[in-house]
Amino acid sequence: MSLNNFNLQERESRRIKAILARLHKELRAELVLLISRNGQPVVITGTDKNTDCTALASLAAANLAATDGLANVVGEKEFSVLVHQGRRHSLFISDLLKRFSLVVVFDATASLGLVRYRCKRTGFLLEDVIRSFQQGAEKAKAVPDYPDFSDEELEELLGNIGP
Amino acid sequence: MTFINYVAREINCKIVYYGPGLGGKTTNLQYVYRITSPENKGKLISLATETERTLFFDFLPIDLGQIRGFRTRFHLYTVPGQVFYDSSRKLILKGVDGVVFVADSQEERMDANLESLSNLAQNLKEQGFDLGSIPYVLQLNKRDLPSAMPAKELQQQLLVRGEPVFEAIATQGVGVLDTLKAVARQVLVELRKSA
Repeated sequence: MSLNNFNLQERESRRIKAILARLHKELRAELVLLISRNGQPVVITGTDKNTDCTALASLAAANLAATDGLANVVGEKEFSVLVHQGRRHSLFISDLLKRFSLVVVFDATASLGLVRYRCKRTGFLLEDVIRSFQQGAEKAKAVPDYPDFSDEELEELLGNIGP
Repeated sequence: MTFINYVAREINCKIVYYGPGLGGKTTNLQYVYRITSPENKGKLISLATETERTLFFDFLPIDLGQIRGFRTRFHLYTVPGQVFYDSSRKLILKGVDGVVFVADSQEERMDANLESLSNLAQNLKEQGFDLGSIPYVLQLNKRDLPSAMPAKELQQQLLVRGEPVFEAIATQGVGVLDTLKAVARQVLVELRKSA
């Protein structure tokens, strides 16, 4: 993983999925996501098929980024956790090493204290995995099955833009 | 920050439309949304004020299909053009893979174009990017308006490094797809180079 790009491989994906699945079960959450801080869903766990996870990831990342901006304005280093409480669904968002975020959609009747506790623990586990795959990626500069496409394939792909 | 998911075999890239207020950034995205088939697009999200001015950003995910078995997705963002939303612009540039600068061709908006371009260079620098090397396209929008300056004059003032330039009338879709294809091409070529 370079500074600007990151690549998710099978092994890390499995580890992350297992961690998220455990949190999903413990909290009986609707959705648990690991997203990048620039708003891309990385790993999604959950049973809710109706939620637009792409939109959720983008808005959650923007929300966290805006909150960081607010923190700076009031002289705080960061507000690393956000909780939004609704009537039926609530949302927990927390920062992970400034590069990723944990996003949890849960039932509004769940104990907020428990949610925060479990999410904090999950955050530590995820940070360990992220650190390890960052280190691994730095060692292995090239990825063997990188999508090395030809100019023709690229033009064919770009031809799909539009009606 | 291009995200390659080898498990799901997906490439995800982020493109930001930048430029002065009321220059047509949102209109670009609205056109792309309108003409893209439902299975290849997500929701168009607009965080706007009551008067339809962009407050934080517009967001549109589009799916280009597969290349070498990798599904390729582009996440298109606009920034709020108004000067006082600079903090928001900085946030949206985080992790950007490519930039489209949507310039307003009207003579009276030239100062706004230059100010926005300078702001883009500065904000990219703060994020660790260089306007001289990041995938970048210049779009000269509003070519249909009577006060539109000649394209050559606009280019003389706005061209940064010999980047691709497209004349556009975003309200009619003219030049919108060519602009998007050009920046997408640069992003993917850059990605291939970094392998």
